[in-house]
Amino acid sequence: MAEQISPEQLKALQEKIKNMSPEELKEFQKKQCIFCQIIAGKVQSRKVYEDEKVIALLDINPANPGHVLLLTKEHYSIMPQIPDDEVSYVFMVSKALSNSMLRSIDAQGTNVIVANGIAAGQRAQHFMAHIIPRKENDGINFTLPQKAMEQNEVEAVGNKLIAALGGTAEKEEKSSIPSLKMQEPKKKESESKDIDLDDISKLLGVK
Amino acid sequence: MAARETCLVCQIVGNKIPSKKVYEDDVVMAVLDVNGANPGHCFIMPKNHYPIIEQVPDIEVGRLFQVSNKISSAIFESLGAQGTNIFVANGIPAGQTVAHFTINVIPRKENDGINLQWQPKQLSEEEMSTVELKLKEQTKNIGYFEKEEKKPRIYAPKPKMLSDEEEEYFSRQLRRLP
Repeated sequence: MAEQISPEQLKALQEKIKNMSPEELKEFQKKQCIFCQIIAGKVQSRKVYEDEKVIALLDINPANPGHVLLLTKEHYSIMPQIPDDEVSYVFMVSKALSNSMLRSIDAQGTNVIVANGIAAGQRAQHFMAHIIPRKENDGINFTLPQKAMEQNEVEAVGNKLIAALGGTAEKEEKSSIPSLKMQEPKKKESESKDIDLDDISKLLGVK
Repeated sequence: MAARETCLVCQIVGNKIPSKKVYEDDVVMAVLDVNGANPGHCFIMPKNHYPIIEQVPDIEVGRLFQVSNKISSAIFESLGAQGTNIFVANGIPAGQTVAHFTINVIPRKENDGINLQWQPKQLSEEEMSTVELKLKEQTKNIGYFEKEEKKPRIYAPKPKMLSDEEEEYFSRQLRRLP
């Protein structure tokens, strides 16, 4: 990436990108994407979990030791591009990774963070969820500012969102998100079953 | 449970505290945060009371984040946001303030004063390897959810397996046959 591109080359490249079909563009993005190369095994990484849909790596610039990046194997730039069932899957794995951190590296809590867009702090062109193990006084501060809204602004913003979500805020009898059966998934007996989740939540200070 | 009666989020879910709802279904509810980090900041929460994500059933975790993603898209579309953050604080050391699992979806604009960045910590190769090994030891238990549920199940009767005694009895019986 350190090579200098001449203005002519840049122009030619821009022209090339402009004329690409969506499929070609995706393929092009994939070739440029460092995380796609990591997924393909062309660039070395420290994998902590992998299956057919997702891969979890240790961040080389961690907020805390054990900071994990969870990536979809498929190249998506931002979360809104990901199909529903894959979104579900990614965050079920996030939950499991968070759980693993509590049990293996003495995390006292975890943060799950996704940044969509540069304005939100996204740096790589590949969707990822950050899962950050936390300890008391670890020097990380994610306190969100609070900006009070006027009542009419609340109504206006809320109604815009409701309209964009394509419905009313009234309870929908049938969920607009299909394909989910409310069923307890089958659980595999975990070896570390001796730790009770209620104990963990007490440990984390939440009742 | 006493926790439910005193839980702020449960009271919002139960309509005991007024809120601006943007989405609701049988398991999930999303409301606008009136003291949000930016206008349009939403909370997405399970209707059932679970303090931390580890207690939320997988299927509900999936649904919660699907709804969060939809709200994030709606924020892009309707509020002219330049970005969105999905933010979860799990446990008090992580900044959790209410004992009911919630997902924050925050609209973002450049220079909006929100800081979700961190100072990278320098770890030695050895420290990285130790963490990697410890985590891997736990993550090998991951992977039982959903996968099986998606495939159509075939209800073929399993071939009956006989115990050793039965097997012996069975073969003795067989030998008695002419």
